[in-house]
Amino acid sequence: MKLFFAAALSICALQSSAQYDFWTPKEAFAIEVSLENASPMKRLPINRNAITALAVSGDLILGGTSADKGLAPFVFTASLVKRELTDFKDMEEVVPGQARIRSGFSKGNNNTFYAGTIPGDLSKGGGHLIAVKLSARGEIEIRDLGVPIPNEGVFSLTIDAKKNTLYGISYPTGIFFSYNIATKTTRSFRDIVPTRKDLHTLDEFVLGPDNYLSKALVESNQGLIFGSFPINKLFCFDPKTQSFQILSDSIPEVWGRKSLGQVESWAKARDGKLYGGNAGDGQVFELNPITKKVKNLGKPAMMPHIKGLAFARDGKLYGVSGGVPGYTHLFSYDNNKGFVDYGNPEFDMVAPGIEQGIKWRGFRIATLTASEDGKYVVMGEDESLSQLLVFVAEGK
Amino acid sequence: MKIKGSTMSRNRKESPGYLSVRKAAVLFAAFFAAGIYNAGKVAAQDITEKNMRFIEYDGFPEGSSAWNSIGYNPHDNTVYVGITDHRDKVALYIYNASKDNMQLKGFISDMARLRDFQWQAKIHTKFVAGKNGEMFFATDGGESREEYFMENPKGYAGGFMLKWDPAEHKLTNLGMGLQYESFKDVDIDTASGKLYAISYPQVHFLVYDLQSNDLKDLGRLGSTHVPRMLFTDRWGNCYYVDWRQRLVKYEKSSGKLLFAEKSLPAFEGTPGGYIVTGITAFAKDEGRGVIYLMTYGAKVIAFYPQEHGIGRVEDLGGALDIEGNEKWRYYIPNLNVGNNGKLYYLVGGHGMYAIKDRSVFVEFDPKLKKPKILFEYPSTVFVEATGCDTKDKEGNLYFAGKRNVPKSERNRGNLGELGDRPTVPFLVKFNPDKTVQ
Repeated sequence: MKLFFAAALSICALQSSAQYDFWTPKEAFAIEVSLENASPMKRLPINRNAITALAVSGDLILGGTSADKGLAPFVFTASLVKRELTDFKDMEEVVPGQARIRSGFSKGNNNTFYAGTIPGDLSKGGGHLIAVKLSARGEIEIRDLGVPIPNEGVFSLTIDAKKNTLYGISYPTGIFFSYNIATKTTRSFRDIVPTRKDLHTLDEFVLGPDNYLSKALVESNQGLIFGSFPINKLFCFDPKTQSFQILSDSIPEVWGRKSLGQVESWAKARDGKLYGGNAGDGQVFELNPITKKVKNLGKPAMMPHIKGLAFARDGKLYGVSGGVPGYTHLFSYDNNKGFVDYGNPEFDMVAPGIEQGIKWRGFRIATLTASEDGKYVVMGEDESLSQLLVFVAEGK
Repeated sequence: MKIKGSTMSRNRKESPGYLSVRKAAVLFAAFFAAGIYNAGKVAAQDITEKNMRFIEYDGFPEGSSAWNSIGYNPHDNTVYVGITDHRDKVALYIYNASKDNMQLKGFISDMARLRDFQWQAKIHTKFVAGKNGEMFFATDGGESREEYFMENPKGYAGGFMLKWDPAEHKLTNLGMGLQYESFKDVDIDTASGKLYAISYPQVHFLVYDLQSNDLKDLGRLGSTHVPRMLFTDRWGNCYYVDWRQRLVKYEKSSGKLLFAEKSLPAFEGTPGGYIVTGITAFAKDEGRGVIYLMTYGAKVIAFYPQEHGIGRVEDLGGALDIEGNEKWRYYIPNLNVGNNGKLYYLVGGHGMYAIKDRSVFVEFDPKLKKPKILFEYPSTVFVEATGCDTKDKEGNLYFAGKRNVPKSERNRGNLGELGDRPTVPFLVKFNPDKTVQ
């Protein structure tokens, strides 16, 4: 024990006299997902593993990645119990030419997850919808559902599982579409495509589709699909009437920075209220899906971005704000304490070869999700070698 | 831009009385080293206190330390050192080995034309020589203040890459690296002029092309703690370590990173925090085709680089072995190789001592794979050395040294290092084959 303290003291001495403490939840860990030259261990190779889509199914974390230019992404699974990568599929072997899976995973019927892809070269074809099924051991089976919008990628996606219908926004044009899984029919709508005038304005601010298209969609308990579109507006799509409503309340803004407004994440509370994150300035807001009124809850940190939001079993809304060029801050929000900033998550990583454990600090986190029972909160990094960070929320 | 710090305080610190105290302290250090020289611990009988010399830095009494900010320029036989006050003032010193002359060249913020919001607390990188005699290095925020303040008015803008032209006595600002990030080390491919760098705290490996001004970020390689050392081989490939302490090679012919299959040797039981910190020092023996590495887990390693692929690694054993100490727990952020083929390093500093509050200067024979203590110092004489592979044309080895200020000397100047004891820096000149005094 003496030696342990001595070692800890000496590392502290070397490392700095930092003015912060890392957050230490009771149970937390990191999973080494990516490592170059890792054989015989299963790991994702460099520059193809930015974890931009996440879901949890039982013991399994399901991940989708984005790759650097000219490289293909992966779909992977990792076990929460074993704390290791269990399987991965190279998207090049499923649908060639794809570069990004950034739509998130939408859970449909029969434990099937749906996602969309963005190709590396849109002139050679569009992004695909894919259906992912997992075996109990984490083995991945991917079915290609084809291209919903020709020569467009799939930027964001959500599902109405009861209607067996996917809703998405295409990239780079911003076409809203629906896809009936059973009939394999697609309907497209140009109602939220940025106007020429808006595109001119956005161009003046040197903003591209990644900066202004709705990065996330959500279905309310009333069956409405909510999202954002330029400039700083919120919409909802009513599948019954197949029509759009532009909300009178817009995304909370910092004065003069309206052009940055973009919903980046959504979470739905038990009471059906929707919580959104603004990429532009990092505000979290509450949206009442019935009154369609927006309440600005403020900024959890000074940085922009709310790249992920999810409710855990402790009733708190967890999220990640910030990111490049700063660092990610993990935060929580509830009515009692408001925002609590936990800083960079730093959890223990144990794997073959590093059995003694190392600390893994999440500087750049691309997405966050929670298990269906709210026990686990899972974060995926956006690095050249990206890892998973997981903590267990309090409560039962 | 004005030099920070009041005139009154500078005058006080530079008063003859004060300087005489400092000079006396440095002389005392050298003589004290001789005094504690213990015949029972002598490794080579011809190495005496006359083989080592401490050279002080005049003109910057607030300067408290250097951390690896040292390097040799073979074009004019000079040694460069960056001395910091650990706040926002960094001085450039150049020691001319031929003339035995130490000169303060100026302060980085002035010479690089930095504004107040671009404050820099350290040079943490080594100095590396370009093919035309120019010297390259980069700046650091000094850890505590730089992290997280970011866009706050008190925040840290980011580190700068800099070039010193000794012919023109001119510092050129080559620009920032990553926003909000420091530089912990740089190295150079002299043939192409490309600079390699590692950022803090996100451990991103950067390649900067001086000709095209292209800065490539090859991504994050480390865990929670940034390994402090980059080094190159004779072909201009650059090496670092990942969080498993595996060598990572930037292969210049492909422009890609190669990762070694296995981790560098470590003692059983080495904590993860030591593994992720990787290499703390290196020294090249070009004639023998070997690069010696020192790990944070106190292993001495011989690495035989090759132009393509990762080269061979040989475990030379522990850097020191003192009864009662864990084999991995020695603090050694410095390494030089003498013309005799032996390695030299100081063990101690940053609260980690082989012997309580004493640092030891060690000779390591790679053939015998054995360390021997040459000198033993109380921390108020010589507490810590940094610097790698710094050897002049006469085979003199250099370290950036410092000593703790004894309580009796405190309050004589603002010598505080943030978060640590007050220290006084000095240049260490050592030659195992001849006297340097």
